Amino acid sequence: MSVQVGASTARPTVRLTHKEAIILAIAEEMRRDERVLYVGQDVGIFGGAMQGTMGLFEEFGARRVRETPISESAMVGIAIGAALFGRRPIVEISFGEFLPAAMNQLVNQAPNLHYMTGGSARVPVVIRTRVGDGPYGGHPQDYSAWFTHVPGLKVVMPATPADAKGLMVSAIRDDNPVLVLEPMSLSNARREEVPDGEHLVPIGSGAVVRPGRDVTVVAIGSMVPVALRAARSLESEEIDAEVLDLRSLAPWDTALVLASVDRTRRLVIVHEAWVSGGVGAEIAATVAESIPQRLLAPVLRVGALAIPVPSGKLRPLALPGASRVVDAIRSVVRPAEAPAG
Amino acid sequence: MWRLIAQALGKAAGYNKGRSVSFNGPFEANIVPWVAGDLGTSLGVATGAALACLEQRGGDVCVCSFGDGTANRGDFHESLNLASLWKLPIVYVCQNNGWAISQPASSYLPAPIAQRSAGYGMPGVSVDGNDVEAVREAVAEAVNRARAGGGPTLIESLTFRGKGHWAADHALYRNEPVLPRADPLELLGSRLIERGEAEAPDLERVRTGIRADVAAAVERARATPDASRTELGLNEVYV
Repeated sequence: MSVQVGASTARPTVRLTHKEAIILAIAEEMRRDERVLYVGQDVGIFGGAMQGTMGLFEEFGARRVRETPISESAMVGIAIGAALFGRRPIVEISFGEFLPAAMNQLVNQAPNLHYMTGGSARVPVVIRTRVGDGPYGGHPQDYSAWFTHVPGLKVVMPATPADAKGLMVSAIRDDNPVLVLEPMSLSNARREEVPDGEHLVPIGSGAVVRPGRDVTVVAIGSMVPVALRAARSLESEEIDAEVLDLRSLAPWDTALVLASVDRTRRLVIVHEAWVSGGVGAEIAATVAESIPQRLLAPVLRVGALAIPVPSGKLRPLALPGASRVVDAIRSVVRPAEAPAG
Repeated sequence: MWRLIAQALGKAAGYNKGRSVSFNGPFEANIVPWVAGDLGTSLGVATGAALACLEQRGGDVCVCSFGDGTANRGDFHESLNLASLWKLPIVYVCQNNGWAISQPASSYLPAPIAQRSAGYGMPGVSVDGNDVEAVREAVAEAVNRARAGGGPTLIESLTFRGKGHWAADHALYRNEPVLPRADPLELLGSRLIERGEAEAPDLERVRTGIRADVAAAVERARATPDASRTELGLNEVYV
């Protein structure tokens, strides 16, 4: 890693991929706090699914980087139990498709313990997993919305290496259970500047990644770069789109979204997961409940088609891309010019 | 004790502020809270508590009690396998009362639960669950083994179910008569008298004292206010 001075601040930065930033966050927290331990499959000498834990086993050894049998429910269960008694476990579920195997622990235990014990129990557990389309094409189903439904869980999905580091550090230091979702298509994407040393991004805060006047585009995870591409391509049509990176799915930055829509008066929401019952539905409903009179156009959602995400050549047809985002933005900004149907 | 009873009665003074009536004690007393309505997840959580015991190196051992019905959840398999692999200091005590709500064991248990331990490479012990001294001995041996680094033990404690699954369950699905069985405390009492270690009036004094304590606790709990809006805790979901 070459240390460079970032352009906008005097703060030193390192250039890292999304995945490298997450590994760095975990390594720094494990050095800082001996209660942090890492639990997962293939996290030993192999270096983790998609090489997602490279170097951790070598540095921290088999006692703090624990390889497990293929037992997702027990993996999350032991993380909860160890957390109740003073440890701060990170449990890696290799892919988001495997989260349902631990569903009881994730929705019936982890989120409820603090509240149901009258506040005496704390569950500082991080559940780390990978979701969506990715370089190897496997395990693309994205069930992230399910976990935003349950009070007591926090859910984050960073879209940049800097946020990946900052949100992972915040998740590890949080005394609540936090699900950290890594969009697989961004895991090995290009290296970007990441603040060196301590860097936290508050859970629950979104970010304006491109200011604009005409429409608010709320994007999540892998769709942030897609939304940015769409916004850039519309510059030539004199449409000025504001792109927000939601970053946290639960709790989400209601104030940021409402303030932006209040200004632009139009809203498009883009996520890789399905539209029905998704995070976008929650955002649309909140805007409709809060500032209906400010909307000049219907709120549109862009997401995966309502089919199980297929593989191979069918995949790009099922998942949202920049052209669908462009169409959605055009149709809310210039409804008269939008193609019929 | 009165706070535990307050909890069962949905009182604000219960350990859980009236939010869950489960019989879990104060978390501060190192009792793993049980809050989920589903079965078996507490096996995983208890196994994690044992991992914390191991990490903290203080010689603590986790004891996890569950029923014969729960033993058929996948969490049983996942947890025991993992605990044995990592030699975690935990004792799994399965109280086999032969019933899972309305179903007799013949409908869900093809073999004794203790035999499953072989598949996980841990000792499996079957014990008369109504014999207080036998249970104590079996658990003590398992605790000592766990503390010495010998890993987990599965104990199948054979007992019976005297009544229905819940207070209002008249167990009409049981077609055989519920035979009177020895209460574990009666059994222990008569044995103590036989061995000359206690006399009947001593035991009666203990019983009377405990009855009075329980009655006083119930009375104290009943007199406290029910949980209400304050205990809803809209801002207490997260730490």
